Amino acid sequence: MLLVEDDASIREVAALGLKQAGFRVSTAVDGREGLMRALQEPADVVILDVMLPSLDGFEVCREIRKQSRVPILMLTARTDTVDVVVGLESGADDYVTKPFEMPELVARVRAVLRRSSSQPEETTVSVGGLELDPASFIATKDGRELSLTATEFRLLLEMGRRPGQVFTREMLLDRVWNYDYLGDSRLVDVAMQRLRAKVEEDPAHPKLITTVRGVGYRLERG
Amino acid sequence: MSRRPVPTGRLRRRLTIAFILVAGIASGALALGSFLEVRQARLSDSLVAAKDEARFDLVLAQGFVQSGNIQGLLQSFQQNRLNVVLVTGQASRPSNPSFAPPIPQTLRSLVGSGKLAYQRLPSGRHDLLVIGGLIPGSKVQLYFVFSEDRIQSDLRDLRNVLLVGWGVVVVLAGLVGSLLARRTLDPVARASQAAQSIAEGLLATRLPVRGKDEFGSWATSFNEMAEALEAKIAALQEAQARERRFTSDVSHELRTPLTALVGEASLLGEHLERMPSEARRPAELLIQDVGRLRRLVDELMEISRFDAGRESIQVDSVDLMALIQAAVRARGWDQQVEISGQDVVLQSDRRRLERIVANLMGNALEHGGGRCRVSVGLNGRRAFVEVTDRGHGIPSEHLAHLFDRFYKADPSRRGSGSGLGLAIAMENARLLGGDIDVWSELGTGTRFTLLLPVMEVLPERAGDVSALPESEAR
Repeated sequence: MLLVEDDASIREVAALGLKQAGFRVSTAVDGREGLMRALQEPADVVILDVMLPSLDGFEVCREIRKQSRVPILMLTARTDTVDVVVGLESGADDYVTKPFEMPELVARVRAVLRRSSSQPEETTVSVGGLELDPASFIATKDGRELSLTATEFRLLLEMGRRPGQVFTREMLLDRVWNYDYLGDSRLVDVAMQRLRAKVEEDPAHPKLITTVRGVGYRLERG
Repeated sequence: MSRRPVPTGRLRRRLTIAFILVAGIASGALALGSFLEVRQARLSDSLVAAKDEARFDLVLAQGFVQSGNIQGLLQSFQQNRLNVVLVTGQASRPSNPSFAPPIPQTLRSLVGSGKLAYQRLPSGRHDLLVIGGLIPGSKVQLYFVFSEDRIQSDLRDLRNVLLVGWGVVVVLAGLVGSLLARRTLDPVARASQAAQSIAEGLLATRLPVRGKDEFGSWATSFNEMAEALEAKIAALQEAQARERRFTSDVSHELRTPLTALVGEASLLGEHLERMPSEARRPAELLIQDVGRLRRLVDELMEISRFDAGRESIQVDSVDLMALIQAAVRARGWDQQVEISGQDVVLQSDRRRLERIVANLMGNALEHGGGRCRVSVGLNGRRAFVEVTDRGHGIPSEHLAHLFDRFYKADPSRRGSGSGLGLAIAMENARLLGGDIDVWSELGTGTRFTLLLPVMEVLPERAGDVSALPESEAR
């Protein structure tokens, strides 16, 4: 995997921790180098710091997304600011706040990898014009292929397996992101927004994925 | 913004009334005095003339009476256009019946005793001066009747003119007085309002300096004072802002080395067993203390964000009971926390609520004997979450300071907290429009109650920045 972080100490300890967890890690020290490496060298996960010299972390994320669906994990400084939302909207799959402990980073990396790895034993799901093939990670709507990130695909898949059922944010956090604590429901909201932008005819008035006020989301049977 | 009305009306009224009184009384006295003087003079002149005439004519009449020619007497006076009344005993014979008033007894007695006497008789349409005397050498009384109509009517005219004039003077005095009062007191009212504006925070308020009189210099002094005040407050605010920026910058700068430390400590923690025994304990302590440092910096950053007013809330429907249960489960406190109460759903910020509740429960478990009871419910327009423990209790002198920053009731005790936990909980509660109450009794236990509004609509929607100002939040 690729780790893009400008602070030397953080870079070294994170790389060390990931290597000890069994991953192969290559690093970059700034935005430009990070983008270059991400596009040129194949990686299973890209870990991207928000605050980077030469090219902003969000920019790098957006640029990578233009060409690749590789899972991206962002390292942000704060949770309460717009950082998280902007990061997710730029196309990141998940975020980790600084300071973080190594086991936490490793767990999140593993979760994001799990999401993006194909499980051949899973069957295709078709509902309301959508066709989701977990083996190939291809999703189509009315025959047209959708370009979804791994996380978005998983989200759609989970809801598509039980059309008509309401999923609370906690349930989605648990199933898709594998969090069993009271995580940040913003993750779900932003991902849902992005998904709607890609799937719905009119994202402002969603027909396929509806919000159930006070409870959560539902994929309509169509 | 409401303004207290400036009460200068009273002073203005008083001034005007004083003006009117002075002018009114002075001119009134003058008018009255003049009138009385004139009246006295006119009447006196009339009387003197009448007396002279009477004396002269009484002597003349003597001749007629001696010759017994009463008729001739009357005719003679008639011809000279003098109205007389001749009285002998009880009989009276007027020369002119239209000027023949009944002579009052008092006058008759006086004249009968030999004096020259007079009396003024208002008789019907005329003002008469009756003056009478004994004709010398007889007992016949002769009364002369003079008409003072003209005098009286002149006096009446004079009186009316004076009254009207006095009225005009009073009205004029009132107008002038009121105008003067207003011109004089207006600067006072304006100055009063300016002072009030400054008190309300409009530090740029100044008074216009017009003229070189007392008010001019007063206004100049006022402006100088306002200037100094404004500068001082600006300096203080700048100092405070600098201090807060510093705190925020420092906590921010600490993030990066702290992140490295936390990461390194966590890696170390995974290899503790493989360490030589001399290294293991220091490593454990290091990891623990890095954790404490991390919590402290986190809380410092949070508090400085509250100070900067940069805290936003995300409003959502929250099921209190479910939230508390989830919080307990997530921290593995299932065996130690007993939850009870009713289901309450309200609009609030889920994450902040969880933090407050977790903090209160954590405190209860740590300082209150390892177990606590949580009950949820509705009390009128507010939802409440009560966290009760059966610990030692908190002495009452500490209760008031519990929510202060860095306050630790027992400084010697090494708690896991930084001293900011309750302060942050309180800030969060206030941000959500609520409050935290505490009750404690030594030897019995402690109860923290989180109160939250249910009916109020929290104004900031999801994603918006800027916190609720204190006044609205309460």
